Amino acid sequence: MASGGILKQPLLWFAIIGLLLFIADSQLSNNRSEIIIDAALRDRLGTLWTTQTGLIASEAELDALTESWLREEVMYQEALRLGLDQEDSIVRRRLVQKLGFIAESEPLPDPEIADLEYFYQENIEDYTLPLRYSFQQKYFQAMDAAENALAQIIGGMPAENVGETSMLNQSYAYRSALDLNATFGAGFADRIANLSNGIWDGPIQSGFGYHLIFISAIHPEQVTPLQAIPEQVLQDFQRARQLQARDSYIDNLLDEYEIIMETQ
Amino acid sequence: MYRLKVLFLLPCLLGACSETANETSITPQSSTASSVTSAISNEFNENRNAYFGELHVHSMYSYDAFILGGIASPEEAYQFAKGNAITHAAGFEMQLNQPFDFYAVTDHAYFLGVMREMAMGDSELSQHPVAEGIDEIGDDPIPRRQIFFNFTDFANSGNGSEIMDMDVVTSAWNDIVDTANRHNDPGNFTTFVAYEYTGTGPNREMLHRNVIFRDDNAPDLPFSRLDSDDPADLWDWMDNNRSMGIESLAIPHNSNYSEGLMFDLVDYNGNPLDSAYADQRMRNEPIVEITQVKGTSETHPALSPNDEWASFGVLYTRIGTDVLIQPEGAYLRDALLNGIRLQEEQGFNPFKYGISGSSDTHNGTAVGPEENFYGVSGLLDSDGQRRGAVPLDTPNPDGSLYFDRYARFGASGMTGVWAEENTREAIYDAFRRKETFGTSGTRMKVRFFAGHDLPELDDDELISKAYATGVTMGGDLIAEADDAPAFIAWAAKDPNSAPLQRLQIIKGWVENGEMHEQVYDIACSDGNAVNPTTNRCGDNGASVNLDDCSISPDLGATELRVKWTDPDYNPANNAFYYVRALENPSCRWSTWDAIRAGVEPRPDVPATIQERLWSSPIWIIPESN
Repeated sequence: MASGGILKQPLLWFAIIGLLLFIADSQLSNNRSEIIIDAALRDRLGTLWTTQTGLIASEAELDALTESWLREEVMYQEALRLGLDQEDSIVRRRLVQKLGFIAESEPLPDPEIADLEYFYQENIEDYTLPLRYSFQQKYFQAMDAAENALAQIIGGMPAENVGETSMLNQSYAYRSALDLNATFGAGFADRIANLSNGIWDGPIQSGFGYHLIFISAIHPEQVTPLQAIPEQVLQDFQRARQLQARDSYIDNLLDEYEIIMETQ
Repeated sequence: MYRLKVLFLLPCLLGACSETANETSITPQSSTASSVTSAISNEFNENRNAYFGELHVHSMYSYDAFILGGIASPEEAYQFAKGNAITHAAGFEMQLNQPFDFYAVTDHAYFLGVMREMAMGDSELSQHPVAEGIDEIGDDPIPRRQIFFNFTDFANSGNGSEIMDMDVVTSAWNDIVDTANRHNDPGNFTTFVAYEYTGTGPNREMLHRNVIFRDDNAPDLPFSRLDSDDPADLWDWMDNNRSMGIESLAIPHNSNYSEGLMFDLVDYNGNPLDSAYADQRMRNEPIVEITQVKGTSETHPALSPNDEWASFGVLYTRIGTDVLIQPEGAYLRDALLNGIRLQEEQGFNPFKYGISGSSDTHNGTAVGPEENFYGVSGLLDSDGQRRGAVPLDTPNPDGSLYFDRYARFGASGMTGVWAEENTREAIYDAFRRKETFGTSGTRMKVRFFAGHDLPELDDDELISKAYATGVTMGGDLIAEADDAPAFIAWAAKDPNSAPLQRLQIIKGWVENGEMHEQVYDIACSDGNAVNPTTNRCGDNGASVNLDDCSISPDLGATELRVKWTDPDYNPANNAFYYVRALENPSCRWSTWDAIRAGVEPRPDVPATIQERLWSSPIWIIPESN
């Protein structure tokens, strides 16, 4: 009750608003302000000089360094006062870049083995060899020739006695679907998937003609164990963490701002 | 420090090593992503496998690529080559349906990384007047092209070194080298450390070369046009590197835009050629790029009036102008002929080139099938209208309906090699042997042998016996006075492209000091025979339906194979022979664009093409030489 009464006093409000205006003016003033040259600045310039030249700066050199710093600083201050940093794409880019570095370089805890294992499991498809086939093939230009040859093989004819010459190999090992479609034409991997294992089967069509296929082995998808590729998983993990850190930093920032979409 | 700790601890923590942990269980078996996706797919083959690759790819570090909208990093370029999708600056995805076996990112050493630094970086470069406006650039090609021209004008003004920031160049080069080495995966996927040297004649004639390094040790910086425009200086640099254990070769390209300087009969400074020049050139340049997007450089109709296929991919005028190019000295067949003429007259051959093909993409992405042509110049040719295949919404001021600049470019360029396995060493050595072929973008293959004792075609061990008794593409055969050599040519179609129509041998020879050339059809599809008078196959009648690009279903051959003897053979002549294989006709990229847009194909460019392959030549050397 009492506090409510005080807040309703106009005089108090005048005082508060006046104080705020005074503070704002002194902070945001467009007037030229002072440039302070102190011992700390001279020390800093001296250290920089030593880093660059390997020499200790004499008093005269320090005076000259300070003078040149001052001439640059006054231009910098004046540029800021004139608002030259506004709408400048290079300044904008540099500031965004700096903040990005800060966001990404925020110290992340060292990954525990469990973290890496979890990341590896979550992304297991990146560390998995696809299903692959090892097989022999006999090539025919025409489907009926291939069918006849298959009947002959089933009737006891040795497979090496059938087939037409082609530039293709007689046998292939460890071929993934991608490899098969590149070597035999699109769709071949789907067709070989329907064949039986361990017998001459087919014919199936390729970009060249028709093939009888003897699948000698189907190598299932094979996960590369984490201990075989620790460096790669660690790199991937760190890259993912970095991107994540940057993204969540931006998301948090967005929460702090009110975004107004103006429709025209 | 931290990374190492984890590396050494991990295997043991996971229980992979026993008390006596040995080296092999700690060393990662493989540290590259690709080996995890495609292990052991290619076996060692002493009769050699065909591998397909691309040796001319620009990434964001090339000044022209970047400003035109080629934003792919070297990392993305190699990801693309391995079959992953990457995004074009225009927003669409680009992906191959067949990954490459080998790939080399070849950015311009000239101002390497500089344009990107102007746009993206915060160094002084970004405040240079040449970079003015680069930040606000949108997807409109016109201001992009303007900045490109501002840049090249400045670069050529003599003040170029002002913007050649060596920190930027070094950082880009290190990324290129590291990325290539990181993606090299012996047995599965080969990369090369590489770059493009853009030496230029006095009037911007192209003397461009791609420099390919054999191993992972690369020089600190590439030798660029700013060091010298004279290719002989590049060769000196390569020779010097070689003496320090850094092996490389250079692949000349775009001879079609050299105005006759690429295969000129004098050197860069106008001096006559000699055997020292020929030795150095051939030591450093075993193969040449016969085709790419900016034109095919096999031959020109004015040079080969009796070759009905000579106009393929020929660009008749200088880029962006109506000025006719000069064909002499600018095309490979003419150079091969001059080479054997010089061999006969003066005892050296400076143009004994094997053949490759590559795209010269500036998007990081090689050219795939005609159907999926993305253009090669970023936002400048990213859709049918910008490529000139689809009419503009608003006609040009002169009333013409199409944008013209890129309409005659081809979706062309791929290199094939015969190598024992897919490793840097095996593939690089194939370049050195010239056991290579170029294609217009499809994956045809060809075997090619010459010998006096070659096996018959039905021999079960045809290839191993042909290697044992003859020479293959890129080799020399010494003539025998009383025995004409036989040639075996064997081509197979691309399983994902049109069938083969005909197999040809292109012969060049010198007789009484005169240079001659002849195209022989040597095998025909569909039971057609070669007419011995015209040396041509009968027409197989293959056609293309321009409504949907479907092709004659039952015409053409999956393979063409022949043992052939030259009916006009003369053992006293210096000669070369190379194979050309032609597919049945299929739709050109511009026709696919037109169909997608629902318009008629543009009438003043061909609606169809015959994809083709060129083998490296075999040279016949008369016994007396």
